[in-house]
Amino acid sequence: MTEGRLTRRALIAGAGTTALAAPALAKLGGGMIDLALPGGPSLRPTTPDFPGKREMIVQRIRPPLLEAPMEAFREGVITPNDRHFVRWNWAMPTEVKAGEHRVAVGGAVKKAVSLTLDEIAAAGEHVSIVAVNQCAGNGRGLSTPRVTGTQWGNGAMACAKWTGVRLRDVLAKAGGISPRAKRVRFAGLDVPLTDGAPQFIKSLPTQMAQSNDVLVAWAMNDEPLSILHGFPLRIVVPGWFSTYWVKMLSTIEVLEHEDESHYMADTYRWPKVPVTPESKDFPTAPITAMPPRSFITSHADGDTVTKGTPLTLEGLAFGGDKGLAKVELVGDGWSVPCELGPDEHGPYAFRRWSVTLPNVSGNLTGIGAKSTNANGLSQPDALVWNPSGYARNVIERITLVAQ
Amino acid sequence: MRAALLLPLTLLIAACDRAPTVNFQDASITPPDDPNELPDGPGRDVVLENCTACHSPSTMLQQPKVSREKWESIIGKMRKLYKAPVDDAAAAQVVDYMVAIQSDVSHEAPR
Repeated sequence: MTEGRLTRRALIAGAGTTALAAPALAKLGGGMIDLALPGGPSLRPTTPDFPGKREMIVQRIRPPLLEAPMEAFREGVITPNDRHFVRWNWAMPTEVKAGEHRVAVGGAVKKAVSLTLDEIAAAGEHVSIVAVNQCAGNGRGLSTPRVTGTQWGNGAMACAKWTGVRLRDVLAKAGGISPRAKRVRFAGLDVPLTDGAPQFIKSLPTQMAQSNDVLVAWAMNDEPLSILHGFPLRIVVPGWFSTYWVKMLSTIEVLEHEDESHYMADTYRWPKVPVTPESKDFPTAPITAMPPRSFITSHADGDTVTKGTPLTLEGLAFGGDKGLAKVELVGDGWSVPCELGPDEHGPYAFRRWSVTLPNVSGNLTGIGAKSTNANGLSQPDALVWNPSGYARNVIERITLVAQ
Repeated sequence: MRAALLLPLTLLIAACDRAPTVNFQDASITPPDDPNELPDGPGRDVVLENCTACHSPSTMLQQPKVSREKWESIIGKMRKLYKAPVDDAAAAQVVDYMVAIQSDVSHEAPR
């Protein structure tokens, strides 16, 4: 460390005591919320100022990062569009003309084509799938030790009914794909502001891209996609994290090689082996399928409950890329099976659960919901820490105080 | 009465037989202004000049407290990978600013 640096630091130390008291979070037209992020900063402004949105937690205005407060998940299994989280890597256009929009389908296809929205809509059977859309970094802000990146609480998730055509039917409009095709890559209208920065492009393995459930969707809960959610079209990959659900879809490119682009090869990856904050040079793999998660939604950490009475707890769960098998309420050394709500919308959707404890005899310390999916995959007791805070699915625990 | 009820139903079923069409309308949005203000501190103007053209300050202000080396690495990534046009002198000032801001907690309202 040079003397110059030291001098500069000394200057900063001098300035800091008097000058750093200004509020960092100027008020939007809304309130403030505490996300209980360990060590902070934990307060976030909330605002109803984004068109089409109710009060949302503001992680960032430009490009937008909006999180739903957990109260959005207290009822039902479909998240209203005005409570659906928003996440853009690069700035999105604020206006899109439907008649001028085209989707280029090219690369290793028989005949490259440029499709209008009407041609996309006519490409095949219209399919609706209810599926959870969840950011790969949902819950990152709760990591211990903390990691950098968007400091989400657990509200970067939502469940919606998506309507569109199958991606494979759109690929068929280009005469089909090469037998040597390895991946199908997507790009949208969101592009970097700086020359030479990597565009946000993502790809699926060919087999996944051609599956029954992967859609080119134009509607969300029977409404057209809004600009914030990727108007006019977005990819929907039920069971996989939303990093693959490319918004404002403008290009579909079939690759005969592995995808070396930044957002596949360098980021949105996690360790293949257990790591600690000190680990270096470990092998990584792309984040793909979601693991199961569950939340207690009827009570918040620190709530009081009445001693000597029964207690009903309710919540939400999803199985990830497979349906839910079971949800248990777990405490220190005990577990109680929960009753699952009806399977209304298939394997990729939220489901409700509830459980009634016959008698509250004392504080309920560190209780949480633990879900298991049809593959037998369960939520872990301890956080599977990774340096980017991806795919959090540790059991989320709360303490209820008996009075 | 019964016939009157049946007629619309029949029309509805006939409509469903045809391939449904999708009515795509132009879309636009006016996002809210970004009111986030950077706390006062040495290098604040450099941060405004070099960082906030691409993203709101909240991206930086909401990070957990990390080391100077981590801020150097983050700002290095902004420059090398994301091609942020930030020169060496400015980058050093941004790092200093973030370290200073994070060592002072008074910019966050009390719990």
